[in-house]
Parts: sequence; structure tokens; C-alpha cells
Amino acid sequence: MRLADKFSDPQFGAVLALSYLAFSAVFWAYPFVWLLILSVSDWRFFDAPTFSGLHNLFVVLRDPEFWTGLWNVIRFFAIFFPIAFLGSLGFAFGLQQVRHGKAFVALCFLLANISSGVAFSLVFKKLFSSTGPINNILFAWFGYRIPWMSDPNFAMLAIALVVSWKFVGYYGLILYSGLQTVPKDIYDAALLDHTPPLTRLFRITLPMINAQLIMVLVFTILVSFSIFTEAYLITGGGPLDSTNTPMMVIYETAFRRLQPTHAAMMSIIVAAASYALIRVMRVLFEREVKLA
Amino acid sequence: MIATKLKKLVQAKTPVGWLATCAIYGLAITWLYPFAWMVLASLKPTAEVYNTNLFEGHLSLDNYVFLFGSAEKLHRPFLGALGISFFVALTVTVSVLITSAFIGYALARIKFPFRDKFRDFLLLQMVVPTMMFTLPMFVLIKQLGLINSYGALILPSAMSGWGIFMMSQSFRGMPEDYIDAAKLDRANIYQIIFNIIAPLNKSIIAIVALLTFTGAWDNFMWPLIVISDINKMPLSVLLATFSKQYGVYAGPVMAGAVLQTLPLVILFILFRRNFLAGMSLTLK
Repeated sequence: MRLADKFSDPQFGAVLALSYLAFSAVFWAYPFVWLLILSVSDWRFFDAPTFSGLHNLFVVLRDPEFWTGLWNVIRFFAIFFPIAFLGSLGFAFGLQQVRHGKAFVALCFLLANISSGVAFSLVFKKLFSSTGPINNILFAWFGYRIPWMSDPNFAMLAIALVVSWKFVGYYGLILYSGLQTVPKDIYDAALLDHTPPLTRLFRITLPMINAQLIMVLVFTILVSFSIFTEAYLITGGGPLDSTNTPMMVIYETAFRRLQPTHAAMMSIIVAAASYALIRVMRVLFEREVKLA
Repeated sequence: MIATKLKKLVQAKTPVGWLATCAIYGLAITWLYPFAWMVLASLKPTAEVYNTNLFEGHLSLDNYVFLFGSAEKLHRPFLGALGISFFVALTVTVSVLITSAFIGYALARIKFPFRDKFRDFLLLQMVVPTMMFTLPMFVLIKQLGLINSYGALILPSAMSGWGIFMMSQSFRGMPEDYIDAAKLDRANIYQIIFNIIAPLNKSIIAIVALLTFTGAWDNFMWPLIVISDINKMPLSVLLATFSKQYGVYAGPVMAGAVLQTLPLVILFILFRRNFLAGMSLTLK
């Protein structure tokens, strides 16, 4: 048998696929089974897990930290979503106007997305500090300073701004790629009919890029539920747990309060909540775009 | 001559269009402000970080000297951490690239039994939220006796379903003739992948490489959980512990932040063309 034939052999393909399945069995399926076991067990890292039924569920539902974490997702999303959504939409429309240096503009924004979350959490911690550059600029221009780190809502705004800085370029390029696919003749027809700009926006442009808008919406939900680095490093969850995210609560519960089984139950609930929210949003806003 | 050209240029857009163009150039520069502030703060003495303007102050490399020299006395081995970060991120990236290329090739080009089921499995893995896996993965790593080892940082990310999927999607779009011709010339699978497929799919390889490297290099929560030995910490975690304990040394902390950012920025600039091509490719 020739070597070349051997490598288009179905068996060879199956072996390659099996190598990944073996990897997934160890590093995906096995942990997943452990998560399910832990969520209904009593275990504190050292002894053998014993079955405890729904005990963890009741403990978690009575845990104020857990509810604070979930409530903070809503607070974060309420600030982050409008900034990121309008920001990326503005970026996408703006980029369409740019003739020269399109790649340069896109890269400036994308650089924030690709660079280190750890490093920039530390940078923004300094930038937002009470005597930091941002407050100095605000003081010089408007005459007052914002208590970024000591006021619960401003602390959340600070985190939302940092995360927006990171993602607006990426989301904007997603929307921009959608705008590129809208056929020009639709606009020509609308112009012939003297359709006002706002109607064009809401009746043509936004419906035509529904798929990309939904993609951005899903990404913002996923990000809102999985914030860890920024909150951990910039505010440490404070002031008064006002920026304590579910991921931080899970981390603290498992490795500081040493209650891994409670953390396991929490991560299942949080994952289910994010999944459910995405489903609801898709049902509410997803439209099939058809050009008759 | 110049006047007519200028006139043409001005008339090329509506006033709103010009406003939008200028605004977006301005914003692009604003977006870079944190980078500029970080780099310049890392070059200033700590006392001048907050009370000088961006380009004022005494610039020197003292903070970097401090980070690599004196920090050793504070039990913060930054040089070692930098090496660990490179070792871990490079190993993970090479491993993911090679496995994704081969398995992606199989998925795209070889008809093996249950191939569609395998693809469905990859898609399923991508929608299951990763946040659920941190804790049980810790249990697994503990059972394997890998706590405080590089294996804990490398093994869980050694292969990537996302990488396999992205590569196979790109490989499927290639003309069959190239591969058939190579097979006629008795090329083996290594030659097919390295000499034919790789050069034709540079964009997707660049995007998988860049995102995998960034993910491994900047991973924070996972090494924070599995590495407590200060001599084995990657830069991301060591920098965070340093900042927590010695945050008043704003200059050195910013120098560390520059070190943590620099490799990612260099890679991004090197691969920017492939990356932009890959972006539109993935966004279709």
C-alpha cells in the first residue's frame, strides 16, 4: 500500500478524531461528571464525597453572597450593554465613512481586545484611582472628581468602561462585517422613495444586520456572566461587594470558604442562568432575514 | 492643482461624514491612551507617576532594573516568571496548532465513520459554558498530582475543539486539486499539511495561534488556583500578587504590566494582516 493512500484512509481519520475524543474524555467529560457529583455531595477537598441530595441547592439559595453576585450581573449588564452596543454600532458606522487608514483604525481598537487583561486591569486601577489621571482631567475641566473606587455605582461603571474599552472594537468589527453585506440597491430604492434617515436605520439597516446584532448581544451576556480578572484586580469585589461577580463568588466559595460543593452548585445555576437568558433574548430578538 | 484636489477631497463626503471620520480617528488615538500611559508610567520614578503630565518627568529604565534585580529580594522572581509564561504559552500554542491542523484536516478531508457526529460534538463543546469547568478541573489536576506543576497549566489546554473546528472550516474551502496533485506525487500527510495546506491557510492559522497564545499567556484565574508556589507562577499571577502587596510601587508595577503586554502587542502587529483577514473570515 502506498503511503499517500494510507493517509486518506478512513481509519487514519478515525484515529485522529479518537485522539481528540480521548483528550475530551479526560479534560472535559470527566470534570463535567465530577461537577455533577459534587453538586449533590458533601465534600471539603480531603474526605470522600458523600451524597447529600439537594442540600447544596438550599444552602446556595440562602446564601446572600450568591444573590449579590447574580444581582451584580444585572447591574453590570445594565451599564455595559448600552455602552458596548451603541459604542460598537457607532464604531461600525464610523468605520464605513473612513476611506484611508481603515486597517489602522480597526487595529487601534482591536489592540485593546488582544492585549493583556491582567496588565490593563492594573493600569486602569491606577488611571481610575482618586488622584489618578482620569480624575485629574475631570477636575481640570469640570472642577470635580468622581469617587470611582468608593461609590458602588461608579465602581461598577469603572469596570464596565474597562470591559467596554476591551470589546467595542471586536463587536464593532462584527457589526461592520454585517453592514458590508447589506445590498446597496435597497438604499438606492429607499432614497428614491425619500425615506428619512432614521426610518432607513430602523427599517433597513438594523433589521438587515440582525444576525450580527444577536451575535454581539450573546457575547455581551456571556462576558457579563464571566467577569473575573477585571473585578478581582481593579476593585477586589468592593466597595461592599458591589462589584462581586458570580465568578468571584464561586472562586471565594470554593477556595477561600472551602465549600467546593456549594461552588459546584453555584456554577451550574449561573451557567444555566446565562444559557436561559441567551435563549430568551434569541427568541425575542432573532429574526430571519429574507430578501424576496 | 492642489486647490482642486483639496476641493475634491472636501466634497467627497457630507459634513456629517467628515465629522464621523474625524471622530473615529480621534477615538482610535484615545483608545491607545492607556497603552501610552502605561509605557510612560513604567519609565518614570514612582513619585512622578501621578503628578506629571503624560510626556513630562524623568524617564529611565530604573523600574525594569528594579523588577529584575531588587524584586528578587522581595521573593518576586520576575525573570523566571517571564520564562515560565513563554514556556507555557509557546508549548500550548504549538500543541494546539499541530493537533488542530491534523484533526482539522481529517474532519475536512477524510471520510471516516461518524464524522458528522464528531463535528456535532465539537459544536456542543463550544456552547457549554466554560465557567462550569474550573472547579472540577481543579479536582482532576489534584487527583493527577499536578498542582504546582507546569503540567497543570499546559495539559488542560493542549488541544482545542475550537481550533479544530476553525481549521477544518478553512480547509474545506480549499480546492481539492492541490491535495490530489500532492497525493499523486506521493506526498505524505506531513508534507501535505506543512507544504500545501499551511501556506494556503495562513490567516486561520495566524488567528488560532494568536488567540491561543493570548489565552495561555494572559490566563489569570486558572494559574491563580493551581499554582501557589511563587517560583512556578507565570507572569500574570506573579504580577498580580506583586501589585497586591507592593501596589505603592506604581512604577515597577507598570513595568511589569508592560512586560505582560509587550509579547501580545508584538505578535498582534506582526500578524495584523492575517488577523484582519481571519476576522472577516470568521465573521462571515
